[in-house]
Amino acid sequence: MRIATAKESYAADEALFDTPTQRVWLALFVAVCALFPFTANEYWLYMACLVAIHVISVTGLNIVTGFTGLVSLGQAAFMGVGAYTVAVAETRFGTPVLLNLIAAGAITAAVGAVVGIPSLRVKGLYLAIATIASSFILHFVFANWNSVTHGVSGISLPPASILGVEFGRPFALYFLIVPIAFLAVFSASNLFRTRIGRAFIAIRDRDISAEVLGIPLLRYKLMSFALSSFYAGVAGGLWAYFFRVVTPESFPFVYSIFFLAAVIVGGMGSILGSILGAVFMTMVPEVLKLGVGVMSPFLSDAVALLSPVRTIVFGGLIIGFLIFEPHGLAEIWRRIRRFFHLWPFKT
Amino acid sequence: MSITRRTALALALATATTLAGAPARAADDIVIAGSMPLTGVFAFAGIGVHAGIQDYVKIVNDAGGIAGRKVVYVAEDTAYKVDQSVAVFNKLTSQNKVNLYYGDSTGFAKTINPELNRLGTMMMAGASFATELNDPKAYPLQFMAGPDYTEMVGILLQYIAKTKPGAKIAFVHSDTEFGRDPIGPSEAHAKKLGLDVVVKIVTPPTAVDVSTEILKLRRADPDFTIFHGYVLAPLPEFMNQAKQLGLKTKFMGTFWSMDNSLWGKVGEAADGFMGVMPYRYYYDAEGKSPMLEKIRAMRPEYQSTPYLQGFLTTMLYLESAKRVLEGGKELNGPNLKAALNSIKDFDTGGIIGTPITITGNSIPVGRVYRYDAVKKAMLPNSDWIQLGK
Amino acid sequence: MIDFDWLFFLEVSLAGLGSGALLALTGLSFVLIYKATRAVNLAIGEMLMIGAYAFFSFSAGLGLPWWAAVPAALACGGLLGAVIERAVIRPMLGESAISVLMVTIGLGSVLIGAVELLWGADPAQLPDFMGTSPVFLGPAYVSRKIVIGFAVAATVITLFILAFRFWRGGVALRATATDQGAAYSCGIDVPVVFSMAWVFAGVAAAGAGILVGAVGGISPAMGIFGLSALVVVIVGGLDSVVGALIGGVLVGLIEAWTGTYLGGEFKTLITFGLLIAVLMVRPYGLFGTVEIERL
Repeated sequence: MRIATAKESYAADEALFDTPTQRVWLALFVAVCALFPFTANEYWLYMACLVAIHVISVTGLNIVTGFTGLVSLGQAAFMGVGAYTVAVAETRFGTPVLLNLIAAGAITAAVGAVVGIPSLRVKGLYLAIATIASSFILHFVFANWNSVTHGVSGISLPPASILGVEFGRPFALYFLIVPIAFLAVFSASNLFRTRIGRAFIAIRDRDISAEVLGIPLLRYKLMSFALSSFYAGVAGGLWAYFFRVVTPESFPFVYSIFFLAAVIVGGMGSILGSILGAVFMTMVPEVLKLGVGVMSPFLSDAVALLSPVRTIVFGGLIIGFLIFEPHGLAEIWRRIRRFFHLWPFKT
Repeated sequence: MSITRRTALALALATATTLAGAPARAADDIVIAGSMPLTGVFAFAGIGVHAGIQDYVKIVNDAGGIAGRKVVYVAEDTAYKVDQSVAVFNKLTSQNKVNLYYGDSTGFAKTINPELNRLGTMMMAGASFATELNDPKAYPLQFMAGPDYTEMVGILLQYIAKTKPGAKIAFVHSDTEFGRDPIGPSEAHAKKLGLDVVVKIVTPPTAVDVSTEILKLRRADPDFTIFHGYVLAPLPEFMNQAKQLGLKTKFMGTFWSMDNSLWGKVGEAADGFMGVMPYRYYYDAEGKSPMLEKIRAMRPEYQSTPYLQGFLTTMLYLESAKRVLEGGKELNGPNLKAALNSIKDFDTGGIIGTPITITGNSIPVGRVYRYDAVKKAMLPNSDWIQLGK
Repeated sequence: MIDFDWLFFLEVSLAGLGSGALLALTGLSFVLIYKATRAVNLAIGEMLMIGAYAFFSFSAGLGLPWWAAVPAALACGGLLGAVIERAVIRPMLGESAISVLMVTIGLGSVLIGAVELLWGADPAQLPDFMGTSPVFLGPAYVSRKIVIGFAVAATVITLFILAFRFWRGGVALRATATDQGAAYSCGIDVPVVFSMAWVFAGVAAAGAGILVGAVGGISPAMGIFGLSALVVVIVGGLDSVVGALIGGVLVGLIEAWTGTYLGGEFKTLITFGLLIAVLMVRPYGLFGTVEIERL
């Protein structure tokens, strides 16, 4: 059992990581992340990079959906905007990588703010569908603005290179993507200790009350959309450097559903939830494939026979987790933590 | 030898590793790996291809392998998603020394291309016949076991130009990368052959009802309508309504919409559907076809066209591997591709009804088949057409 | 335009009406569920697919005539609705709408996997049970399936509107939709109303599935059709049966016109553009209940 977390100053109370235990675990986690690439093979590095990209995007979506209460189903299309920005900047202008990523974020933020305009009038599910509309409209632009996006065949880009170091392999990209993911997650956690973040939460809880309290809804809702899209844009930019081919079909609508699923399964309005959700949604299909692999010595051609079963199990897991814990994996995590904090007493 | 604690431990470990799905593999096995779309929108093809590759590998292994080396095939499902395909690629290539790879989509082929060239250890083919991939300079280690999409349409156009010079043509395609692929160049090709493209109809990928498109087609009144970018739907509905309206147009399709059993389920309306097929059908008995006979002996029931695609792809993989090994060279990507391009007047054992020569990334050969609803079978309607001849 | 082909325009519009009817029927199923349980069911396309596959099994598999296979498939749809409600939706009672939405996404994945497992991945065609002789309204041609689809959708939706107005169960459902607590205290068995809504929605979805399957064929990917229905209900208003009908017809017409005069690639663009325009003017759709917010 852990006791005595009394705070002596406001600064200590407001700290992002308020207990030594947390800090120790975090340091361990960072160390593991830093050492991981030297022990893992290509496949695990690839998955780690993919998870990190998804973490950035899901964190962004959580800002607008989990913290501000505006359901968005356009995240994949926003990532597409970022990816195209990077692809065009890289192939046409050859500007530096980090600048491209920032530009991707900025342009996507602008697009996101425009898409967010209906949010002032339209609420709840109607808004969710309005964002679907924007995502289809963006898809149309990707597929038909031939002079910039090269239509359906898309754009291939060279590997990212910073100061002569080439980021082509997952091993190298890991050191580009994962630090950015860390940065993104920490900025997001900090956001909710500021006035802006608090305003978002107030809007989520009751937007009319928030307005009465002096929060200009238009500005903050659009800001939330813009911020969320900034994350999507950066994630999309990294995606472009990671896969190095950007086509309109790279960002289908189901990808947006994937991100929303990650937010909900992980836990709405929880940064930890974003991480857990991204990991869950990306890794569970892979883990299920490992399961199929284990079965193959016993069952001839398990791959062909069990693949549909995997689809079923994946859906079943989502349902099961949500019925068991509607507040997502973050809540399960908290419960486990509480158990250890209070042990040997009952929670 | 008495069982000591140490040997027991070793035994247990050995069983554990075997059970964990890492069967002991000889170092000189020839490994074919694949990102297979066994679920998702393209599962129909993935399942067929998967079986085709397995069967050819089995035939070769039963006959003693390639130059005494065993062939191993490993694959995982991708759900037809590019990120999962790349994940499978990374997984299979880090677990095995892969020599030959099967990719599931155009997107994957394009995404993995730089990596493929960097590794230089394997040659790749796949389910995509995208025109863009038919470029040995940009895709030096890839090929496709048939004509690319533009060549498929080209074969149809050549057939049309021969049977009905100056005919009016309509293109109907889906609004996807797959659907749009051959349309631009094919229009130019049609013009060159003196054919008149009267209308181009685009259907959104979610389209169910095609009544308005039929009305458009009726106004344009073409002699031939060429579909591209579909597997089955919405072709039967098009043909049904065209029949109701008494349109004179004949309907044609490309490889992925040519499977016999799919059309068999459509019934009466399927009658007269034509399309380009780079391979012969499972039941095709004309002439000598030892490979088809082997397939029929292994699998008594009908096998789909994707099955034949997987089968032939594997045949070309292993023929290339054989040529590399016989030449005493190292089994790597460039050597495999060079061996593939040395294939000249090659007899595929009846899978393709004419000897093939592979000079680039594709095999620009095909034949027009026509569905006969009475006999419930696709029947040949032309000779083998070789483009560029 | 100087010589505008009015007959062509009429034919295109009729075709649009017809495909709009299919959308409306799917939309109806969506609206029923939303009205009663406030659950947004993104698995609607997959429920539709199950209905179509059930019909496929009964007619092509067991060789039943269509008049026996259709009710059997509808029954399967209803049963599926009941099972889903009892197993998955009931435990989520009182949870946020968004969690429920997510559960239905998981459900969609389960249903797709089930279809791939039970029926395989090959696309197939439903046996033809509607006849093939063309229908002409005056000089204008209409596809027979589309006429039948329109008639079925119009009848079913009229029936539902009447049921909501006059039938006890329908009134109970409306009461539940307005205020669950009040409905409970009036002696309405709310859980039964929930089950009922899902059963009827399942039946409507199965019916829509049979029609959609008859027109467009069946495959494990056909659930994507549900997405187009989503646009319909948002345009019409999430909780309005009439809205589903009007929205369906409207979207069908717009799609037909853009497809014909601009080209198929513009269909989604224009449809979704329309959607945003409608939402900006009427945030709760054309016929949706406006929620008055108070502090």
